[in-house]
Amino acid sequence: MSTIKLKKDLLQKVKRVAAAGGYSSPEEFVEHVLEREIAKLEDAQSDEEIVRKLKGLGYID
Amino acid sequence: MAATGNHYTARSRRLNAVLQCAVAVAGLAALYSHPHSTQLAYIGPGAGFAFLGSFLTLAAGLFMSALSLLLWPFRMAWRAVRNRNSFRNAHVKKIIFLGLDGLDPRLTERMMAEGKLPNLARLAAEGSYQRLRTTFPALSPVAWSTFATGVSPARHNIFDFLDRSLKSYQPRLSSARVGQPEHVLRLGRFRIPLSRPAIESRRKSQPFWKILGKLGIGSTILRVPITFPPEKFDGKLLSAMATPDLKGTQGSFSQFTTRVEKATYENGSRYPLRRGADGFDGEIEGPEDTFVEGSPLLRIPFRVVRRGSAFELRVEGRRCRLNPGEYTGWQRLTFRTAIGVKVNGMARFLLTETEPDFSVYMSPINIDPERPALPISHPPYYAAYLANLLGSFATVGMAEDTWALNEGVIDEDAFLDQAYGIFEEREAMFLNALESTRRGVVACVFDTSDRIQHMFYRHLGASDRHAMVIEEMYRRMDALVAKTLPYADSGTALFVLSDHGFCAFRRGVNINSWLRDNGYLYLRNGDRESGSFFEGVDWSRTRAYGLGLGGFYLNIKNREARGVVSGGREAEELKHEIMGKLAALRDEDGATPIRTVYETATLYRGPYLEAAPDFIVGYNEGYRCSWEGAVGKVAAAVLTDNPKAWSGDHCVDPVLVPGVLFSNRRISADDPGIEDLAPTALKLFGVAPPPWMEGKALL
Repeated sequence: MSTIKLKKDLLQKVKRVAAAGGYSSPEEFVEHVLEREIAKLEDAQSDEEIVRKLKGLGYID
Repeated sequence: MAATGNHYTARSRRLNAVLQCAVAVAGLAALYSHPHSTQLAYIGPGAGFAFLGSFLTLAAGLFMSALSLLLWPFRMAWRAVRNRNSFRNAHVKKIIFLGLDGLDPRLTERMMAEGKLPNLARLAAEGSYQRLRTTFPALSPVAWSTFATGVSPARHNIFDFLDRSLKSYQPRLSSARVGQPEHVLRLGRFRIPLSRPAIESRRKSQPFWKILGKLGIGSTILRVPITFPPEKFDGKLLSAMATPDLKGTQGSFSQFTTRVEKATYENGSRYPLRRGADGFDGEIEGPEDTFVEGSPLLRIPFRVVRRGSAFELRVEGRRCRLNPGEYTGWQRLTFRTAIGVKVNGMARFLLTETEPDFSVYMSPINIDPERPALPISHPPYYAAYLANLLGSFATVGMAEDTWALNEGVIDEDAFLDQAYGIFEEREAMFLNALESTRRGVVACVFDTSDRIQHMFYRHLGASDRHAMVIEEMYRRMDALVAKTLPYADSGTALFVLSDHGFCAFRRGVNINSWLRDNGYLYLRNGDRESGSFFEGVDWSRTRAYGLGLGGFYLNIKNREARGVVSGGREAEELKHEIMGKLAALRDEDGATPIRTVYETATLYRGPYLEAAPDFIVGYNEGYRCSWEGAVGKVAAAVLTDNPKAWSGDHCVDPVLVPGVLFSNRRISADDPGIEDLAPTALKLFGVAPPPWMEGKALL
C-alpha cells in the first residue's frame, strides 16, 4: 500500500464526501474515483481469457 | 466452556499453539530459503504462475522476516498492552456465526414441526428463530458480502456472480481479479516476471471482523464467501467462494477414459486413457507454464495398474489404491515449469467404471493448502497450519463438483460422498476454531446445504431412492448445530443463519431472447440466435441486454462502449416500458414466470450503484434465468425446460427465498435482514456501528 499526499483542505472535502456517499473510508472513495477514471484508459483483458476463468462456476454453462 | 466430549482438549489447544508457531517459522524459512520452491510461484497471468518477486524482493523479504522474528516478543507485548481494554464494553466474550448456505425456512420449519431437527428446534425455543430477509438478488456472493459488511450491494459492489466489461460486454467474475505482472524479463523463449501480478478483491467497504480487529478483538473467519484474495486484518481467515483452482478456473474436473480420444465437457475435460499390458496410461493437464513463450500447458503422466480385484494409481512415484466407487485421499500434484519452479496442487481420484470401458474422474486441481500457489489465507501460513493439524482440505471456491454430476461423469452417490467429505473437512476446522477461541468471533460457512439442494431438489417429494437426500442433509446440519451448542455458553452469542432459501428450477427464462422478440436486442445479419457472450449481437441497435443471474442492463451511451440509449429521460422511459412488458410474460400453460421486475436504483443507495444491473428480475418459483441467457446467449425460445441435475435454485424474487436466523439470544426485531448481523456483532462487543453501515443491530 502506497501513500499519496493531499492538501489539507482537499482531504477534508474528501472525508466529507466519502462519508456522505456511503464509503467506509476516504481511501475507498479515492480508490473508487481513480479506478473509474483509469478504467476508461485501460485495455480490456482478452475475452477468451476472461471467459475461461469462469469455467466451473456452478450457476452458469 | 462446557465440556464437549469430543477429542478436542486442552492438549490439542497447546498443540495448536505449538504447531502454529512451528508452521509460521517453517513457512517463513521455506519461503525465503529455496528460490525454486513452490512458495515462490503463484497463479498470475490467467492460469499461469509467476515468481513472487525479483531477487531484490526476495532479499528484502528475507531481511523483513528475520526482523519480524526478532521483534515478535516486543510486538506481542505491545499487543497485550494495547488490547487489554478491548473487551471493556463488550456484552459477550465470544460470537459464533454458523452459516448454513441456502438452508430454506419452509423446509426447516416443516422438519422442525415434524421433530426431525431437534437441535434447531431447541435453539428456537430457548433463544429465537426468524426468517432472515436476504439481498436483491438472492445470491450467495451478494448476500454473504452484505453479511460481512452490513451494507447493501450498492456499497459493497457485489451484485451477482458476474459483472460485465463496459468495453467489451464480456462477463467477468464480479468478486476478484487476477491481473498480469507489469514487468516481464524476456530471455530467449523464457519469460521471467519481475513483479507480482495484482490479485484484487472487488468487494468494497469493510467487513465487521476488520473493524473489530483494529480494536484488538480477534476473529477466525472460515470459508465465508467472497473472501478471496484474503484481506489483512487482526485475525485468521481462510478464503472461500471465488478462490480459483490451479488452472485459474472456478473448478474444472477431468475425466480419463478409454471411451474416446478427446472431448470437452461444458465445465471439465475428457482425456484419453491408453490401454497397456498391465494397466492404463494417461496424462494430467495442469496450469500454463507462463515462464515460456506461448504458455504451454504443464502435464504430469500417470498410470493405473491392476492389483487383483482393485487398481493402483501411480503418479509422481507415489502409489495409492483405486477402488471402484471410492475416492482416493488428496493426491499431491507437482507441476514443474521450464525454469524449475514447482507449482503444487492436489486432486482426488475416483474410479467410475472398469468394464468394458475404463474411466477415472479427477476433481478440479485444488491449490494445495500446505504449499499454496496463491494466497488463500490470512495470515499466509494459516492454510498450511490447518492442513498440518487436520489434514488437507478442498480450497477451490465452489468445492463440490456440481458440473461433474450435471455431465454424468460422476453419479449421485459419488457427488454426495464428495460433498460430505468436504463437509467433514470444514467441520473439523470449525470445531477446532471453537475449541481454540476463548474470546472474539468464530464465523464459518458450510456450503453443503446449498449444493445438495441445487443437485437433488428434483428428488424432493419423489419416491425414488434419492427422495430423502435433502431431508438427510437437513438432519446432518442439525447434528452440526448439536456439536456447536456446547460452545455457546452464557457469555457467547450464537447465530445460525442462511443467506437465502431454495425453490425448484424447472423452467429457464432467456431474457436476451425476450429482448430480441420485443425489439430491444438485435443480431447481425437478421439472425435469431447468437453465440455465448453476445457473439453476433448488433450493439448499434441494441437497447438492453442480459448477463448474469440476477438482472439485465440498458445499453447506455457514455457508459457502455457502444451504448445507444441516452441517460436521463430516455433511459427512464425505456426502463418503465420494459418493466411493464416483461411482467406480462406468460408461459405456455399460462403461468407467470416473472413475479416482479425491480428497478435497482429504487432498491439501493450507494457509490457503486452505477455498476449494478439496471433491473433485477424477481422470477417466480419454478423459474430462473436460463443457462444460456446467463452467459449472454440469445436462444431460439424465451422459455425452456431445465434438463440438468441442478434442479433447485434461489435466483428468484428474493421475497420468495428468505434465509433463516436462529440465535441463543432473544431477537425481537420485526424484519431482520442479513445486513443486520455485522452491526449486531459490533454492538455485542460494545463497538458503535460506523455511520456507513446500513444494517441495524438486532440485540
